[in-house]
Amino acid sequence: MDLETVKDRAGPRAFSPADDLPQEYREAATRMIEFHANSEIMGAYLERPFIRQAPSIDRKLAFSAKVQDEIGHGQLLYRAAESLGVKSREQMLADLANGDGKFLNCFHYPMESWVETPMIAFFVDGAAMRRQATLRRTSWEPYAHAMDKVCFEEGFHVKHGEDILQELMTGSRKERQLTQEAFEKWWPRIIQFFGPTDDDSTHHDFAASVGLKQKSNDELRNAFLDQYIPKARNYGLEIPDEPRIRERDDGTYEVEEGDLDWDEFFAIAKNEYEPGRDQIGGRRAAQEAVQWVRETIDETIARGHAPRAAD
Amino acid sequence: MIWEVFRQEQAGEYHTHCGNVHAPDREMAKQFAAVQHGRRKPTNSLWVVPRDEVGEITGDDVAFGGTTDKSYRWATTYRTTGADASEVVESESEQADAEQGRGDD
Amino acid sequence: MSSPLENPTDFSARERRALETLVKRLGDDEFVLAERYTEWQVRAPSLESDLALANNAQDELGHARLWYDVLADLDVDERDLVYERDPADFRHSTLVELPFAEGDWADAVLRSYLYDAAEDLRLEALEDSAYPPIADRVGKIRSEEEYHLEHARNWLERLAEGEEGRDRLQDALDRLFPHALTLFESATPPVETAIPTREASGSNEIERNTDETSGDRSDADAAAAVEGDIVDFGLRTATLEELGEEWLSIVVPFLESLDLDVPIDESTIGEGVEYAVTVESLPTQLGRDGTHTDAWFDLYDDLTHTYRELERSDAAKIREDPDR
Repeated sequence: MDLETVKDRAGPRAFSPADDLPQEYREAATRMIEFHANSEIMGAYLERPFIRQAPSIDRKLAFSAKVQDEIGHGQLLYRAAESLGVKSREQMLADLANGDGKFLNCFHYPMESWVETPMIAFFVDGAAMRRQATLRRTSWEPYAHAMDKVCFEEGFHVKHGEDILQELMTGSRKERQLTQEAFEKWWPRIIQFFGPTDDDSTHHDFAASVGLKQKSNDELRNAFLDQYIPKARNYGLEIPDEPRIRERDDGTYEVEEGDLDWDEFFAIAKNEYEPGRDQIGGRRAAQEAVQWVRETIDETIARGHAPRAAD
Repeated sequence: MIWEVFRQEQAGEYHTHCGNVHAPDREMAKQFAAVQHGRRKPTNSLWVVPRDEVGEITGDDVAFGGTTDKSYRWATTYRTTGADASEVVESESEQADAEQGRGDD
Repeated sequence: MSSPLENPTDFSARERRALETLVKRLGDDEFVLAERYTEWQVRAPSLESDLALANNAQDELGHARLWYDVLADLDVDERDLVYERDPADFRHSTLVELPFAEGDWADAVLRSYLYDAAEDLRLEALEDSAYPPIADRVGKIRSEEEYHLEHARNWLERLAEGEEGRDRLQDALDRLFPHALTLFESATPPVETAIPTREASGSNEIERNTDETSGDRSDADAAAAVEGDIVDFGLRTATLEELGEEWLSIVVPFLESLDLDVPIDESTIGEGVEYAVTVESLPTQLGRDGTHTDAWFDLYDDLTHTYRELERSDAAKIREDPDR
């Protein structure tokens, strides 16, 4: 299939591994899905310490279940990416470890306190879900199938994150204050989650033209603000003065882009932001530390000694 | 040799199990399946898988999803306020169906 | 021997103490092991094994809550049991509190095997507990534990196939085995029982002796006495000695079948029993008596960090009365 045919036929779930697709499509889809998969892993990495620090057994359980789900989403997404035939899961995980793999801006920032957890678990996950819901109509069928399961599970993450926010914002004065401070710190990053305005986005045009991407950055950011500004206010959070956000007459929002730190954003996009590098390094160490297990299992299989292999 | 057959009705949908065929090898299995399972019902694609290669684990072997209360995994457990995003509402409703199907509630 | 224990408000002080001691050893084991298991989340050898171990962690943590909830009827809540308990008053085995060295998956699966094999036996011995809330919980917990045990055995068999895997398993076994034996030590009753003593008489014989010069001795006596009560009252239908012997008769042959050397002194084997837990094979800290390794105190500090940072006075429940 040549690129023009791909563009003509690019509808929801239009292409599967049975199709002979041009390299441009395969590479663009791989880049997009790999980014998504990496983000699941690095998000889980960021949230993992709060399984332990959660202030009750039930919160601990929910956090563990959430982190588990995110790893499960990584599993689904790496497979959807792998099925394009460009990179194996092992290569993608190796690239994530060595700093070549890219992932969402928000997961490059350190998270130090429980009051920050709803910033990820409610707002970032809420933002991610806005985007993921549209990706159920992506043109790469395995990606769309992964999104079916991700969207099914993700509602729990958003509701749990919201429940934590609700608990904090109905808690002590100190809790409310710390949560507001955390919100102010994370809000600009969350706005940047959707990337720069459409004019500056390099990959969008192609990804949209072959049906991989269903909505533009601006459309998604609007949809997010529309839904989550009222939610934030509902729980008593005050929207920070910056970045300035104006509501247009048609109900959409205009974000004053100059109020956001794009130097930091693009440093992050290149994996050059220092705290993010620490997180990449920490996860790499963890991955390398269990390399011996994978090797042991591979050797066992190679020697044909796998116990109960016939089961 | 028995081959299990999975049919996808239209592009983008899931392959679901629809039956099997006896065939000596993969090529023949595909040909037989095309007729046996693709000739009447709408079909976009078929997968054939050697029966012996299918591993199975059932509810007798393992308690899927556990036997103790895992309601913390379900969106329906959380009592939040204000209107939810449409995809959150949809996810919650899918989860409510799944919970019911699992017999958790 | 014993009549069913129905109404907690009618319990004698001795009965309450026995129940509290038993439930704490059960709940604390599950709680602390789960806490350690979660360290493997986002760190396991593959995405699939990450999911599996996370599941086991959630199972164990859920079991901890189930056990702790038994004490809710005695007005002891999660706050008292976890967030405001003196860490030296926890009664878990030291097996579950040891930290994992990064990447030591051999430790994770071996520890799981040693623990789950014991767990299976003790659940069996709780199935006919005279206290119905305990007996009622066993079925659901046990069917989840079956997966854990099978999961651990599968991994052990595969790791033991390779030279590095077997070496690492042997290292882990040498380190963990003495701690695993503490699973079968009797637990010193809580220092300050959180249960209000409603009777002045009939309980004095096992009151903690506050005379410091004889502290150790009286702790051991109190532990033995309360353990005797646990069995006499029918809370558990097997003694720790019986459980320990049975456990050894299962795990030692299995580990030896993997070409592992089990660090147990076979010269101590007595008449009529294949194996026995002896004092010499135990580690310095037993856990059950409130002595713990430093790692536990660090872990406790970390897991109560948020509770203290936010000056909480309660542990928020998402689910009320699970499985009731």
